[in-house]
Amino acid sequence: MTLFNLALKNIRRNVKSYGLYIGSTIFSIIIFFTFATLKHSGDISGLAETSKQISGIMSASAFVLIIFVAIFILYSNSFFMRKRKKEVALYALMGVRKQKTAFLLFFENMVIGIVSLIVGVVLGFFLSQLLLSLLLKLMGLNIEIGLAFSPNAVVETIIVFLIIFLFTSLQGYRVIYRFKLIDLFHASKKGEELPKARIISVILGLATLVTAYWLALQDLTSEVWKILGISMPIVIIALTVLGTYLIFNSVLVYVLHMLKKRKFWAWKGLNLMTASQLLYRIRGNAKTLTIIATLSATTITAGGAVFGLYYDTEKNVEQTTPFSFMWEGQEEDIDDSIVKESIRVDTKSIRINSEQMEREYTVIDHSAFEKLAEALEWDIDSLNITEDEVAMIEPFYNEQWTEDVKEISFNNVDHEVVQIYEESIFNLSTVPGTVIVVHDEAYIDLNAEESTYQAVNVENYKEHLDLSQELEAKSSTVDFSSAVQDYQDSLEGTGIMLFVGSFLGLVFLVATGSIIFFKMMTEAEDDKDKYSILYKIGVSKKEIKRTIRYQVGLIFIAPLILGLLHGTVALIAFSSLFQMDLLVPIIIWMSAYVLIYISYYFITIRGFHKTILYKIQEGN
Amino acid sequence: MESLLQVKNVEKVFGKGANTFKALEDISFTIDHGEFVGIMGPSGAGKSTLLHVLATIDTPSKGDIYIENDNIAKMKGDQLADFRRDHLGFIFQDYNLLDSLTVRENIVLPLAIAKLPPKEIDVKVNSMAKAFGIETILDKYPYQISGGQKQRTASCRALVSNPKLIFADEPTGALDSKSATDLLKALSSLNEDQDATIMMVTHDAFAASFCRRILFISDGRLSREMIRATHSRKEFYQMILDELAQLGGDGHDTV
Repeated sequence: MTLFNLALKNIRRNVKSYGLYIGSTIFSIIIFFTFATLKHSGDISGLAETSKQISGIMSASAFVLIIFVAIFILYSNSFFMRKRKKEVALYALMGVRKQKTAFLLFFENMVIGIVSLIVGVVLGFFLSQLLLSLLLKLMGLNIEIGLAFSPNAVVETIIVFLIIFLFTSLQGYRVIYRFKLIDLFHASKKGEELPKARIISVILGLATLVTAYWLALQDLTSEVWKILGISMPIVIIALTVLGTYLIFNSVLVYVLHMLKKRKFWAWKGLNLMTASQLLYRIRGNAKTLTIIATLSATTITAGGAVFGLYYDTEKNVEQTTPFSFMWEGQEEDIDDSIVKESIRVDTKSIRINSEQMEREYTVIDHSAFEKLAEALEWDIDSLNITEDEVAMIEPFYNEQWTEDVKEISFNNVDHEVVQIYEESIFNLSTVPGTVIVVHDEAYIDLNAEESTYQAVNVENYKEHLDLSQELEAKSSTVDFSSAVQDYQDSLEGTGIMLFVGSFLGLVFLVATGSIIFFKMMTEAEDDKDKYSILYKIGVSKKEIKRTIRYQVGLIFIAPLILGLLHGTVALIAFSSLFQMDLLVPIIIWMSAYVLIYISYYFITIRGFHKTILYKIQEGN
Repeated sequence: MESLLQVKNVEKVFGKGANTFKALEDISFTIDHGEFVGIMGPSGAGKSTLLHVLATIDTPSKGDIYIENDNIAKMKGDQLADFRRDHLGFIFQDYNLLDSLTVRENIVLPLAIAKLPPKEIDVKVNSMAKAFGIETILDKYPYQISGGQKQRTASCRALVSNPKLIFADEPTGALDSKSATDLLKALSSLNEDQDATIMMVTHDAFAASFCRRILFISDGRLSREMIRATHSRKEFYQMILDELAQLGGDGHDTV
């Protein structure tokens, strides 16, 4: 029998134990290939005008994805190799040369790789079609997309994964050459001392994290920013990661130690066992947990920000384009049944020289203001202004940046500014800048050029893209602006961001979940005997399941809580920087994240139970 | 007084359909309170199967097993686990200690599972550790102590909850003769002084000679019963050796 046959047979007979590894490899390939297809899809790059920007985002994302996929495969591969060490040892015991075993494993790994590549590319092709139509839906476009098969994507996927497989195969070589037969006989039997935490690193861990949070929440104008300058984000991230590590490595260990010392808690049921197991588990996995917490934080922050922007699209559009349509010129024929309001506004434009700057204002009279405010359903008290008073409508008002204007003089009279509104009363792309409201008499007296605008509000403005385009095409509508068009434009921009963001978020989430899953399954494998002992001395399956739930639960929940905490702080900083209210979208995003994460917990619990309870039954 | 353990026509069949194998066939016997019973027999005779069935780790295919008034052959799942917790103790050949717990914590475990108050646990653990002479190593981890100490720890764990019946599966199998003698002496003194009921499966005639009564089993059936009565341990040892020699040419397999 040739080596080739042996390797093939080996795979065919062990499909079950290989399943996890092959599954995760195929999964990685699907994800990557889908992404590569989208990246190379002509439809996508042709869709938005900012295709350069988008292809930039896509390339950067692909890079992140490659790193991630590589880590993920390495992880599952090392899990897989651990399982096979016994087999390798057996070969060695029977006198098979290392070279031969190594070649067998290398060969086998390459076969698995090539098979997964084929399956992954085929499945990925279909998945990419699904995602493409999803993306188009998110971007609010109704375009038929044909099945675009991208050879570039295939080549890219094959190259990336062949390199990864080559690397994992070489890893296999390393395992075999470093393997000593004696390890087989007392592998992992060596006891380890119970991990202990020094109080100093406990305090240090808490302090680091608090400092990082405090820094993150500082205003851009604060002292710290001046001192640290551009290195600030790096300092924050470094402190956060360090703090996270210390939390796992020391703080949690310390807390568990304290718990274990309290006989009233510890000497009850399996608490003693749970605490001891967790101590080893958390200390041994501190690095992995740190990575997971950091990844979760990144995913939550990036996803939250992008989702926040997307969620804000409608609000943004309604802020800058409050009327469905607006243009300069005469009234147009629009179907009466859909029109809610159609207002004709006369405005005058004045230039005023204040101390250093020349300012331009659009002036409307009080009655026009009332009409507009009513049409926009502004929730304000009725405005009373006398002839020498004005109200100012400043959509970009900002306490910090906007210069306070107390008086405006025209008609040779100083007018006091009695009221400031911070919303826009016109579509900004038709009538930009600051608007002032004057007394009807003062408006008539004002000696300036007058222009006439039409402001129209229609029912369900998002459904009238056709009408918008029809109106825009007419030569009689000058400076035409429409809410639906603006909405469409911003959707296209943020839609891609949202898609890339949530896609990467999903990948990260799946990867973090899988890393924990693999870790826990490895440990379940190691812990089998312990649970079998417990069962024999009379611990019920119910209680065994409970301690497993607690142990796996803490391993899952600890990095999740830290990730959520980091993400919350980062998003608070983000939203105050961009002055957005992101509360609702972030809560939606975080809940989605937590939900998927929790389902991973249940999958892991199930796997753990299966491994342990199978052993218990076998142990008969 | 009624018997502690009553085994009635127990049968255990492995496999399904035409491919079955009877590991135990029509086994009936009783064990009274305070007995120290040994089970001997050649490899594959069904010793371990019998122990597993009696110890509720496995279920018989047929027959009844009464421990006092409870028929454990009819119990299921967690009911069995609770029964094990409350009434049975186990000593295994490979100790089965938990590496992540100290010696003390290992012994505490069954009492903690039974939800005893910590103070009571402390008292019981200390007195049991004294009986087995391991008070000095209570705060060490299993990897820091010797095989004999491990087995004494395991025995402490089995006995600390004061079980009705203690099952020992080749407890001296992995011990040197000194440690084995220490352990057996401790067990038989517990049997004599505290009326602990012990059932021990063993290959070893020396270990068996500490018992008060020995059941021989071969091909899944009880073949003979020996009672020590007033004989000294040494005489009894010789009797066992003779019996093993009589049982067939493969005597070397049983000793």
